[in-house]
Amino acid sequence: MVGERRRELFSVGAIWLVVTVVAEYVAVAVSLHPPGASREARIIDEAFDLLLYLAIPVFTFVVVVVGYSIVRHRAGPDEELDGPPIRTNRAFIASWMVVTSVLTVLVIVPALAGMDKLAAGPEPGLVIDVRAEQWSWTFDYAGGEVRTKDTLVLPVDTRIQFRITATDVIHSFWIPAFRIKQDAVPGKVTETFVTAERIGEFRDDVGMRVQCAELCGLGHARMWTDVSVVSQEDFDAWFSSAGG
Amino acid sequence: MSLIRGAIGGVVGFAAGALLIVSIRVGTGHDAWEVESVTAGAWMFALVGWVLGVGVWRYWAGPWFGRPERTYDITGWRRYLAFDTDHKVIGIQYLVTFLAMFFMAGLFAMLMRWELFSPGEGVLDAGLYNSIMSLHGTMMVFVAVAGTIGSFGNYVVPIMIGADDMAFPKLNALSYWLVPPVLVALTTSFILGGYDTGWTGYAPLSVKSDVGGLFFNLAFFTLGLSSIVGAINFVATIVTMRAPGMGWFRMPIFVWAIFVTAILALLFTQFIALAMLMVILDRTAGMVFFDPASGGQPLLYQHIFWFYSHPAVYIMILPALGITLEMVSHFSRKPLFAYRWAVGGFLGIMGLSSMVWAHHMFTSGMPDALRKPFMVSTEIISIPTGLIFLSAVGTLWLGRIRFTVPMLFALGVLFNFLIGGITGVFLADVPVDVQLQDTYFVVAHFHYVILGGGIFGLFGGIYYWFPKMTGRMMSARLGKVHFWWMMVGFNATFLPMFTLGMDGMNRRIADYTPNLADGNRIVSLGGFFLGTSFVVFLFNFIKSWTSGPPAPPNPWGARTLEWQTASPPPHENFDVPPVVLGDPYGYGEPDSVHAVFPAPDGGPVEEASR
Repeated sequence: MVGERRRELFSVGAIWLVVTVVAEYVAVAVSLHPPGASREARIIDEAFDLLLYLAIPVFTFVVVVVGYSIVRHRAGPDEELDGPPIRTNRAFIASWMVVTSVLTVLVIVPALAGMDKLAAGPEPGLVIDVRAEQWSWTFDYAGGEVRTKDTLVLPVDTRIQFRITATDVIHSFWIPAFRIKQDAVPGKVTETFVTAERIGEFRDDVGMRVQCAELCGLGHARMWTDVSVVSQEDFDAWFSSAGG
Repeated sequence: MSLIRGAIGGVVGFAAGALLIVSIRVGTGHDAWEVESVTAGAWMFALVGWVLGVGVWRYWAGPWFGRPERTYDITGWRRYLAFDTDHKVIGIQYLVTFLAMFFMAGLFAMLMRWELFSPGEGVLDAGLYNSIMSLHGTMMVFVAVAGTIGSFGNYVVPIMIGADDMAFPKLNALSYWLVPPVLVALTTSFILGGYDTGWTGYAPLSVKSDVGGLFFNLAFFTLGLSSIVGAINFVATIVTMRAPGMGWFRMPIFVWAIFVTAILALLFTQFIALAMLMVILDRTAGMVFFDPASGGQPLLYQHIFWFYSHPAVYIMILPALGITLEMVSHFSRKPLFAYRWAVGGFLGIMGLSSMVWAHHMFTSGMPDALRKPFMVSTEIISIPTGLIFLSAVGTLWLGRIRFTVPMLFALGVLFNFLIGGITGVFLADVPVDVQLQDTYFVVAHFHYVILGGGIFGLFGGIYYWFPKMTGRMMSARLGKVHFWWMMVGFNATFLPMFTLGMDGMNRRIADYTPNLADGNRIVSLGGFFLGTSFVVFLFNFIKSWTSGPPAPPNPWGARTLEWQTASPPPHENFDVPPVVLGDPYGYGEPDSVHAVFPAPDGGPVEEASR
């Protein structure tokens, strides 16, 4: 009986190990992320991937143990037998507590570090004031020297500060390709920073758009505008031609 | 008759309230008529009029004023349309009401998926989409908050603890009869053009929304009242009404789940009522709580709202987890593994649930320094939640597993809630959340928790307790068809939503960028498949209720007390009140006894049978 149980533990452990290795391999081989275009996107995608690698063994553990139990220990149609009256198991509970606690720490510590990484960086080379209203975006460069509404033009490899506010209801400033999102709140200025790392525009990459991400009424779904990341020279040329 | 009296009471109350508000307005020099302030005030009086008319006056308050005491003389199906204080009647009232609400909200979901089947505007324009989406969310949240605890908490908990009813039967009836006004308010809102704020109703958008938004606030406020009244009753019942010998650690785990849920509802529901009231006052009385131009603060709403609405997630899911653990034990024919640790899991979730609300606000513009502690507290909640899985996994291991329909749903809860829980860890991680907040990743996550966990648990509960509640068996074959249909449809709908969110689909939109078209088509097809599965359920439910084979007292061979009495139980639940000697999970332990029914005259003791 005890030998039989030990053998079952061994089989379920082996299945779990194989399934987990395969799943981890797939997770490493296949990227789930759309193309990123900023320093922040790299940090955020890495944070996601780390959680995925940690989540896989947990998911496979529960699925394999439950799956094994219901396949191998299915009762016959008119069976009257009870299972063994196992009410507790000190070693299993203790290791469960240790493992879940360690996993929680492994989730928290890199996340804290990731937040610090996102916040760190050189002095911003460009400040853009963003104003959201139902249902459009307005971007003021360098204190209003240049104002645009249709396309947000950004220089590549420059740390940019966005100072964001709203005039009517809450909106949210989201650029999917940059992985940054910050709500625009009436009566308040919020800020976020980004360093674009790739030249591109909405035409080639739908993630290059400022999308409102907080429900703001009738025009919410269509409250988006193009983002265009250009070289520093092109940016300077655009900036002076636009009146800056 | 009760309904007609209630309706008359409601109308009279509304008129009296309107008159009072108009007089106050005139008396204080305002225009006599302003639709929102008059309606909001009149609503409160209409509520009082309705509950008085529907039965509170006749059976409860009347005698205080010298009216004769009345007995409950209504019999048959009319009991279910009346102010009846039997917890078994109230449980069925809750079940049928919230199932109806569930199916209506489900139809709204079908409309949404129809619109989202292809990019561009199709069947619904943006305004109608927003209304339908908001109503879908609101009604489903109401179902999840009150459906399971209202139906099975009411029907099953008193029997499980060996009581003859709830501690406050009249209060219990009152908590149910506050629900129909919620439906009236939501319907009125829809007729008046709906509201476009989602179920979260963030200010200042909600303050600016059309008059339909006011009825959303009133509906939520009223449901909150019902929840608080119900929660008091559950706490009091479980504390004071347990049978002799039913110690805390001999209670079935479902009772623990309802106990913890009720405490959460009792402590936190007042905050949603407050959030709603503040919006109502902003709209009607010119308060400026959320108007920054006059010194108000929009973020204040979110803090108060989530201070309730995060614990509310546990109000939605814990009863389902209780049902799941219950079934895992009974259908594995093994004692519930690590029972006290599972209880500790429920208590741990309860303790932490008030300290995590701002994880819904990582991108809201709240102070940066607060994001770290809220992230840490949120991630820590995975430890007590893990204990629920510990108990389930340990119970299933080496069990003699019976694949009954309720057991299938319990296993479905474990699988779906596992995905819901793990993706919750992702969303609580600030860097990841910055990208995923307000996308379909969040939509997928909370549907895995609330639909995949909470509602699967509700349906598992229906299949499990249907024989007890109706005295008839449901078709197991149709039940299995329903389960697999629903399970496949559910995962086909919501699994692709995770990648949609990562690919840049934000939530609450009627239109999306063309690169998301394929994913949305899959989700819509999955959604229609999921929706049609309920046709099987409804057919089985109605047919079995009217003409299913009679149910024996204990068709599952389970050991908890509700199965040790007739199906359905007599008015007092037990012919002889039980005396509890041990916990209800002694499977495989030849000498273990959960309860005995000592004959009142000192005759032979009848042992609770299996």
